[in-house]
Amino acid sequence: MGRSWRAGGSALIRTGALVAVGAMLRSCVSRLRTLAVLRGQPGVAPLPAKDPWSPRVNPGAGRREQEAKPGCVRGDPRSFSSEVIHMDLSLPNPSWNEDMRLLFDQFMKKSEDGSWKHLPSYKSKFTQRTEDIKIYFPDAKLMKEKLSQAQLFPRSLEEGLGFEYAMFHNCVEDRIVCIFQGGPYLQGAPGFLHGGAIATMIDATLGACAIVAVGVAMTASLNISFKRPIPLGSVVVINSQVDKVEGRKLFLSCNIRSVDEKTVYSEATSLFVKLDPKTRLT
Amino acid sequence: MIRRGFQAVIRLGHHRVLPGAPHVLPRLNRTSAFGSSTDSLVSRFCLEKTDLKDYALPNASWCPDMLNLYQEFLEKTKTDGWIKLPSFKSNRDHIQGLKLPFGLAATSDKSDWRIFTRCLQVEGQGYEYVIFFHPSKKKSICLFQPGPYLEGAPGFAHGGSLAAMMDETFSKTAYLAGEGLFTLSLNIRFKNLIPVGSLAVLNVDVEKIEDQKLYMSCIAQSRDQQRVYAKSSGVFLQLQLEEELSQ
Repeated sequence: MGRSWRAGGSALIRTGALVAVGAMLRSCVSRLRTLAVLRGQPGVAPLPAKDPWSPRVNPGAGRREQEAKPGCVRGDPRSFSSEVIHMDLSLPNPSWNEDMRLLFDQFMKKSEDGSWKHLPSYKSKFTQRTEDIKIYFPDAKLMKEKLSQAQLFPRSLEEGLGFEYAMFHNCVEDRIVCIFQGGPYLQGAPGFLHGGAIATMIDATLGACAIVAVGVAMTASLNISFKRPIPLGSVVVINSQVDKVEGRKLFLSCNIRSVDEKTVYSEATSLFVKLDPKTRLT
Repeated sequence: MIRRGFQAVIRLGHHRVLPGAPHVLPRLNRTSAFGSSTDSLVSRFCLEKTDLKDYALPNASWCPDMLNLYQEFLEKTKTDGWIKLPSFKSNRDHIQGLKLPFGLAATSDKSDWRIFTRCLQVEGQGYEYVIFFHPSKKKSICLFQPGPYLEGAPGFAHGGSLAAMMDETFSKTAYLAGEGLFTLSLNIRFKNLIPVGSLAVLNVDVEKIEDQKLYMSCIAQSRDQQRVYAKSSGVFLQLQLEEELSQ
């Protein structure tokens, strides 16, 4: 929970619209389309080493290795007729206000020397029928109708209405910064963000921090202190880090601040637990 | 943009003088023109005669467990003093004629603003829930069924969605039990995953009210109480809403 579910897979396609990290993103961005082959295994799929989400056991694996040439496909092209379409939603779109775009640009600039890395974020959505999955992935367990409709929670609302966010990983200091703009469907007290929406973003950011550190982890506890209400539609910055690792336990903390860093909206501490592949989840 | 943090409001509350608001009466005898007793809060909140759509009603997506338990509690509203809370599209609909104090109110509530737990309105897609409140026991029960758009781990509800449901239940309970308005803190311990499409029952109790704060606890578990999904505690700040001046 709290992590971006992405299909484990061995093939990624980026269309010609892919732009290099850097200055061009502000003006251009049309959505990236990536195609990924779904492993079809319920539960946890291992992350390939070149993924920006992969644990830091491969410090050399940078974003540059990730960028495939346009049209470059790894894997059998025929299998893409049962494709899962993944779009990176952590990129600017028309609903992002000026604060959000400015911050995004600042972090993309910082990413140019490799000390920061932008983390992509997907919404899972199946476009093919269950039968197709069975043909191409004969060992996949039967997918129920509900699962085929499933979407990762913070990405399940339409553009601009819910959670607009982008996460950046600081590879040197090993922390994650998330820029977040809360949309009109996240209201609590009139004019302000719902505490639960804030909790969801804290969980998502801390989850990302945990995943980048150790692979797959789940929330065990969340402790949030709300200092000031966050106005709806404003942009905030969530700074998160791993405080301590004890065996499979990760202790993380974060704070939520305004863009100018002068206002502290919330602070949180949490415990995440690294999943043991041998342990069932239910 | 508000300038005061919550801490400042609490400090002012201790002196029982809140600038810009009427003198705060002692807690036990609150039957002022603002109607701060629980009963009047409830009747103002529930808006019996209204055209507003109530989302906390059964629909085709509700699982059998949820329907059964809903019927059980509906019976209790007739006999045991429970009240079914309506759930409107925006919190503003629940507090018509009232506004946030200290100029905290937003200048306009655009028509497309929605309360977070009703952000996904297609039946069964997001939050399906109904809250029953007991005014004298100061307890709430929330029947919560997470839909596929609330997914985190495949097939299970996102931790954030449960956190939001707990915060929302705390919020309604805090408001009706003592005009709690803003969350000060949330502490959640997750135990087990909730399968998407299944029923989770949230039991909320008000533990105490002191220092302008409401302290509540919550357990989220399966209907048969055999499986605990999470336990949490929440603290809310008491703030009296102001009457909107007619213009």
